[in-house]
Amino acid sequence: MTLPIRLGFVVKVLGRAGLKEHDSRRWQNNPHLSVSLAYLRDIFEYLRAGQITMYRISSDLAPYATHPDMPQFHNQLDECAAELAVVGDLARAIGLRLSFHPSQYVILNSPDEALTAKSVWDLRVQAEILDRMALGPEAVVVTHVGGIYEGREPARERFVRRWEQLSPVVQERLVLENDDVRFGVADTLWIHRRTGIRLVFDNLHHHNHNPDGIPLRDALASCLATWPADVRPKIHFSSPRTEMRIVQRQDKETGRKVDELQQPVWTRHSDFIHPFEFIDFLRAAADLRPFDVMLECKAKDLALLRLRDDLARYAPDLQDRVT
Amino acid sequence: MTEQSDAPYTPDHAPVLVAVLNNQPDFERARDDGWYRIPLKRAPRRIAAEYLAFYQTGAFGDEGCAVNWYAPVRRFQVLSRAELLPDEPDHPRAGDLYYRIEIGPLQRLAAPVTSPRLRRVTFIPTTLGRLLAAREVNDLWQRDDVQGRLWAALREAGLLAEYRYQLGEPPNETLIDFALFCRDGRIAVLCEAAPDPDPDLRERRPAEYDLVAAGWQVMQFSARQVTDSVAGCVEQVAALVRQLGGQAATTE
Repeated sequence: MTLPIRLGFVVKVLGRAGLKEHDSRRWQNNPHLSVSLAYLRDIFEYLRAGQITMYRISSDLAPYATHPDMPQFHNQLDECAAELAVVGDLARAIGLRLSFHPSQYVILNSPDEALTAKSVWDLRVQAEILDRMALGPEAVVVTHVGGIYEGREPARERFVRRWEQLSPVVQERLVLENDDVRFGVADTLWIHRRTGIRLVFDNLHHHNHNPDGIPLRDALASCLATWPADVRPKIHFSSPRTEMRIVQRQDKETGRKVDELQQPVWTRHSDFIHPFEFIDFLRAAADLRPFDVMLECKAKDLALLRLRDDLARYAPDLQDRVT
Repeated sequence: MTEQSDAPYTPDHAPVLVAVLNNQPDFERARDDGWYRIPLKRAPRRIAAEYLAFYQTGAFGDEGCAVNWYAPVRRFQVLSRAELLPDEPDHPRAGDLYYRIEIGPLQRLAAPVTSPRLRRVTFIPTTLGRLLAAREVNDLWQRDDVQGRLWAALREAGLLAEYRYQLGEPPNETLIDFALFCRDGRIAVLCEAAPDPDPDLRERRPAEYDLVAAGWQVMQFSARQVTDSVAGCVEQVAALVRQLGGQAATTE
């Protein structure tokens, strides 16, 4: 029997006031991974109550853990071995699929060796957190190819070289996502063929950046095929933000800041998932290999709960396929 | 290891967990050794916070039935009871796991946050702003607009309600929005606000038949009723209070 598609959301919980995703205190107040893990544990309890089984953890979970000038924060993973194990136990007990998506400052293919080294450090910390939580291979760290620099092909090749130098701990957790302006699915597939790295398909990125003209369903199927048979693939799904944007600019004559209406940019995420787009997407993928869906939208868990209701109302035939 | 409340600037929205102290040795551990413990098995649904505040039970005499102290949280550890309390290696729960919450120096609140009706208090998640401004324990809770309006109106009418009154023990507890204790009975006021997005709170809403079976008089108000005529809602509650002999001094 095929397990239902898991729906997940990203980091911030909106459905319960005051539920933080990490210890955000400034370094002067000595934030600590253990406090972040307590927040994470509370979020897991919230997810359990809402029967939400997929979640992206904050990349700032271990505060200042890779800050080069703050060695006092570098040992937090060792200090929290027991706490990581306990929160991992809870995640497994409630069947949670977890992931990280490091910030845009984590760039593996940069020509800047220092930036790359720092990026590798960040990736290692996040991969190690998942390891110490004893999570299976479905728990991944999602990254992008990075910058174009001197050209698309050398940039891809440099990603491959850097990937080859990663420790097994990172290689086993790292997965690669097509982005919306630089590297599309053809690029991530090119890298996959040379590294074996698993690919996460992002529908909105693909709509925005598909220079090779790969049909959406083919792109999705190709990315799904990069995952081992015994590991459920995951994808990212979002809807474009369609409303006018309010942009502040400085009036040249008065020097005052004024609000200006501008047309939308299709790379931006909407608050909620467009239910009809999502339904069409699921129907188009019905005969493909099963996958889980991380929803990327501004209304976070509220959007996930709304999407469930929308599926029940507009596509009851799909309702049982999604959890 | 205590300081008067000349604390440095801290944000109003910083999460605070109000925990319970029911004996002097635990208070001394918090004050002198800088930690508090919560058993994993009986931990509330929310434990994480930047501050711990302490509700001291009646066992503390003049300082009892009030929150008097709070402290910044430094870190959480998971330890067995035997590791936490090595002097009690033969305790029947020596192998059980606990959160050991390490805290900084205790700081005294400018004014105690009391429980005038001796309500049974368990863990209450709140914020630093609420804690510092609270007069009584019920002020610690965060309320939505509808519940906040009803709470204020009940208080203005001199009706003493307990907000989010807990029935049962975690993780199977339920919460009554407003509980009123009378000489001849108990009233549970359930406030049907807009569907709560928090599945946890939805799950912990008591069923009316369970309340009635347990001897509660149940009143339900819709968000519309509260918004359109909060005075009418309060009058209905007041009438039932009078019918039940007026309010009792305690929640017992």
